[in-house]
Amino acid sequence: MEATRANPHFLVNRSRVRLFGLSFDDCIRVFFGGNAVVSIIVLGLITFFLFREGSGFFGQNRQNLIVYRQAGLEYVDFIRAQQDDHTALTRYLSDLRLRQFTYATEHAPMSVAAANASLARFDDFAGQFGDTVEPLRTLVSDLTEQASAIKTKFTVMEDKKEERRQLLDEGRAGDAAKVVITPVDFAAELKPILGTLPAYRAASAEFAQGLERVLATAPTLPTPELQARMDRFKLHTRDYLAGFPAVTTQLEAWDYTKPVPASQAFTSFIFGREWLTASFWQDWYGVIPLVVGSLMVSLVALLLAVPLGVGAAVYVNQIATPAEQKFIKPCIEFISAIPSVVLGFFGIAILGQALRALSQVSWLSWVPGFPYSERLNILTAGCLLALIAVPTIFTLAEDALNNVPRAFKEASFALGATRLQTVIKIIVPASLSGIISAVLLGLGRVIGETMVVLLCAGNRIAIPDFTAGLAVITQPVHTMTGIIAQEMGEVVQGSIHYRALFVVGMLLFFLSLGINYVAQRIVRRYRISIG
Amino acid sequence: MVTTAPILMDTRPVAPASTFRPTTTTPAAAGPGAQAAPAETLIDIDHVDFFYGATQALHDVSLRIENRKVTAFIGPSGCGKSTLLRCLNRMNDLIDGTRIAKGSIRIRGVDIHQHDVDVIELRKQVGMVFQKSNPFPKSIYENITYGLRLQGVNNKARLDEVVEKSLRGAALWDEVKDRLDASGLGLSGGQQQRLCIARAIAVEPEVILMDEPCSALDPVATAKVEELIQELRTRFTIVIVTHNMQQAARCSDKTAFFYMGKLIEYADTRDIFTKPANAQTEAYVSGRFG
Ligand SMILES: Nc1ncnc2c1ncn2[C@@H]1O[C@H](COP(=O)(O)OP(=O)(O)OP(=O)(O)O)[C@@H](O)[C@H]1O
Ligand SMILES: [Mg+2]
Repeated sequence: MEATRANPHFLVNRSRVRLFGLSFDDCIRVFFGGNAVVSIIVLGLITFFLFREGSGFFGQNRQNLIVYRQAGLEYVDFIRAQQDDHTALTRYLSDLRLRQFTYATEHAPMSVAAANASLARFDDFAGQFGDTVEPLRTLVSDLTEQASAIKTKFTVMEDKKEERRQLLDEGRAGDAAKVVITPVDFAAELKPILGTLPAYRAASAEFAQGLERVLATAPTLPTPELQARMDRFKLHTRDYLAGFPAVTTQLEAWDYTKPVPASQAFTSFIFGREWLTASFWQDWYGVIPLVVGSLMVSLVALLLAVPLGVGAAVYVNQIATPAEQKFIKPCIEFISAIPSVVLGFFGIAILGQALRALSQVSWLSWVPGFPYSERLNILTAGCLLALIAVPTIFTLAEDALNNVPRAFKEASFALGATRLQTVIKIIVPASLSGIISAVLLGLGRVIGETMVVLLCAGNRIAIPDFTAGLAVITQPVHTMTGIIAQEMGEVVQGSIHYRALFVVGMLLFFLSLGINYVAQRIVRRYRISIG
Repeated sequence: MVTTAPILMDTRPVAPASTFRPTTTTPAAAGPGAQAAPAETLIDIDHVDFFYGATQALHDVSLRIENRKVTAFIGPSGCGKSTLLRCLNRMNDLIDGTRIAKGSIRIRGVDIHQHDVDVIELRKQVGMVFQKSNPFPKSIYENITYGLRLQGVNNKARLDEVVEKSLRGAALWDEVKDRLDASGLGLSGGQQQRLCIARAIAVEPEVILMDEPCSALDPVATAKVEELIQELRTRFTIVIVTHNMQQAARCSDKTAFFYMGKLIEYADTRDIFTKPANAQTEAYVSGRFG
């Protein structure tokens, strides 16, 4: 007490080092805290930027859909869809021809010429079937032209409006007044299109008659298997014919003034099954093919990487000798040092080729999807992505296994368990959530990977054909990351396409965020349960 | 000589010195006491030298552990008690570079370090309870049945029976019978340790090794485990490592004192604590060093 009173300053911090009035401790705190703040700010900026660029998309997409309706494209598409379905049927016929040809040349050995000759009757049938659509085709091409013209007028008007606004922004009111804007009178423009309804009815009826007539002349095929296919074809055609009245009703009920709900701008993106850009007709921004592509590729990658990564982790952590550990660990971790573009290049130059060659080996033809001809596909990309995911999964799973207290292992051994029993019954279950989160983080790594999928996934923007069963993995796809990388460089800044790519980016961002969040939750729960 | 070690002044009812079964230094001279059967050697440790890599942890240790008796290993930290204990079920095999350079350990005449000995079978016969309780992160039920399931027992009725019997044997049944499906990690420290004992006795081993089983427990939990040891002594041969002199005095029939990897003295517990033959032993048990 006495001392305190005698020297009232004894509590004052006496440290000498001061920087901008901050003590040394403060400096250290500011330095580390500052780094944390910077990363948070950067994350915030990225999110903000993504949102700002992407948010305009939905408005533009709605406008896009409104024009689609008002310019009559939607109307024409009803008839086009009918025509497209017919095309699908003719494709079925060509496939059937190929099968017959193969049968003729292989099972009932004939020369190519003889085989072709034997198919003359079938070819005749197929040709007639193809021609039945003719009345519809003429109508569609007329309508397409008309609807396109309306759309063009509308686009020109929009361009002019934009031009005027820019001039006004620049303060050139005089020039702005000179820009001529011709408003589009949709009601008047659509009259000729709607006027073709009687013509459509006639064409459709003629088409239906033609189909009925041709169907009656369908040839019988040589084997039960081929005949079954022919029967299925007939069934499909009957179903197709039964759908005609529905198309007519659709056309009759169609009304260009029907409003496009705001939600459709969103749903047509999230649930849209078509991603079609720079089209002469109508652009579609449906993300499903890309999401499905990304997921399929990731799924294949995980199916390969999980056993490899987790297996290697179990081996290294539980079974390997120290010397083996010293060798294997750096090797696997080294994989992550390979630039992904190199992997992609390797995929194109070697792996794709090798896998295709493998698929064509005759005694492997029982594998679903083998043989296939597309060198770049889900499988090729998945294999390479697996390589990218393995180090992540391995390292994190090994960590999780390492965190299993040694005491569990000893207790298990002391009860007379073998090494294998201990691993399977104690070690892996105890670290299971850690392993699951390792797999999830591997998934996050794979979904975000761009270069490999861009180079090796085949880049066909279509939902793969799942009716092919497991063979679906030999089809090419496009991915969310791939499409951004491919198209971002070409699009006009601020255009709907540009914004659509940003929204895809947002989707990807949230997907990765979600995966990471779930993984971390699992890890936390796991830490608690192990204690 | 110290005639009354302070430890023996403890008058708790569990294990006063008077309840000790009359054992003598040599089996041949077994007296006409309550359980007068001549002490039968179960484990014969014969001139063992043990090495961790290049460091020698045991020097020429020889002792005979008797069947159905409690044998305590005492000695200062680092003297090799755990090492010797872990030799008895070959847990040291899990550590790289360990070896017995000289001597042998025989259980019922079988040298357990021979190559043709089935370690798995050995560990079924020689169970172990660790210093830190280590139930598996599984349910209580799964913890107890683990050893049996390893042996291929999957009959539900049989497993149920063993679970109850083992938990009763470990004096834990009444506390957990309503939550057999709860995680073993959710029990208190003392309960966890008794669960580990139950897990060890579930496979009906012949020997149970306990490495400082009470060192992490409070006095009440310790007393329970000690009571348990008293009950188990009739069915199992128990080897217990302890730093607690009172515990050794209360629970064990025979005590071995180790110092710096050497066996200094091995005799009846009562003799070790009342009239130790060796000055170092005396100094240690009377608390003057260690
Ligand atoms: N895994 C190991 N590797 C190398 N040396 C070890 C290992 N375990 C123990 N030792 C050494 O062997 C000697 C005996 O150790 P041990 O664990 O048997 O002692 P202890 O008597 O059980 O001691 P405490 O009472 O502290 O448990 C010590 O000198 C220790 O350093
Ligand atoms: Mg020890």
